[in-house]
Amino acid sequence: MSEKALPNPGWGPFSALPGNPLMWVLILSEMLVFSAFFALYAAERVTATALFDASQRELDPLMGGLNTLVLLTSGLCVALAVEAVSAGRIRRTRQWLGASMGLGVLFGVIKVVEYSNKFAAGITPETNAFFGFYYGLTAFHFAHVLFGLALLALVTWRTSTENVETAAAFWHMVDLIWILLYPLLYLLR
Amino acid sequence: MTSLPGTRRLLITWAILMTLTVVSMVSARLDQGDWQSLPLWSAGLVIAATGFKAHRLLMVYLNLRAATPAWKGTFVGLVILTLALIAGSYLVARLAG
Repeated sequence: MSEKALPNPGWGPFSALPGNPLMWVLILSEMLVFSAFFALYAAERVTATALFDASQRELDPLMGGLNTLVLLTSGLCVALAVEAVSAGRIRRTRQWLGASMGLGVLFGVIKVVEYSNKFAAGITPETNAFFGFYYGLTAFHFAHVLFGLALLALVTWRTSTENVETAAAFWHMVDLIWILLYPLLYLLR
Repeated sequence: MTSLPGTRRLLITWAILMTLTVVSMVSARLDQGDWQSLPLWSAGLVIAATGFKAHRLLMVYLNLRAATPAWKGTFVGLVILTLALIAGSYLVARLAG
């Protein structure tokens, strides 16, 4: 492929990636940060298996699963928004972005309900190491969801192909992290 | 502008991702009232489903299929490394416990 045929000519190794190349730098660095946290969790689990197993019982894997389905559907809506904007269908793009944001908000509501249930049961980040990781990892991810929602709102206002592709790439990264986080915290026991 | 996956491919990918999520939940035996460790095959299925979901998301939703092999390798490699860490520590914890 010639340099000029690439989506971002002049960006060196980042030329071949869709959307703003700086977003890909952010995505790669975020993935590395989350992977480091996952490694820390994994190492801690090996040293305190019984504690982690007992604490994991307090989580609600069905709620986590529901949130996975919600986030994956939201990702589909964002991908369809990219298809629409590339076809010049701005109104349809905004509708898909709106649907995606709605599902992102639903993810947040489910997460808040989950946190409320835990706090009501007296489970806080200081309860033990497992819940320190649980709250730390999910809250860090939740912060990315909120940032992603702000980005999606911004590109709904300033709708262009590059803007929508850039916000979509970030939103899919948020999806990807949750896909890895869900089995780690909720399923593997 | 890169070549996009197209609506049909996106919908098929979404259906695969949703199905694999449900498979993971069933494999993790969430339907059982009593809480016990997963059989190893079941944990393996959860990890394999997660890996495949991550791969499809990278290639179709993030559209890395249109990127260079080096970028595909970087992202897929990072996901494989992360999953290997998760699976390895799970296995060590299980065998030690």
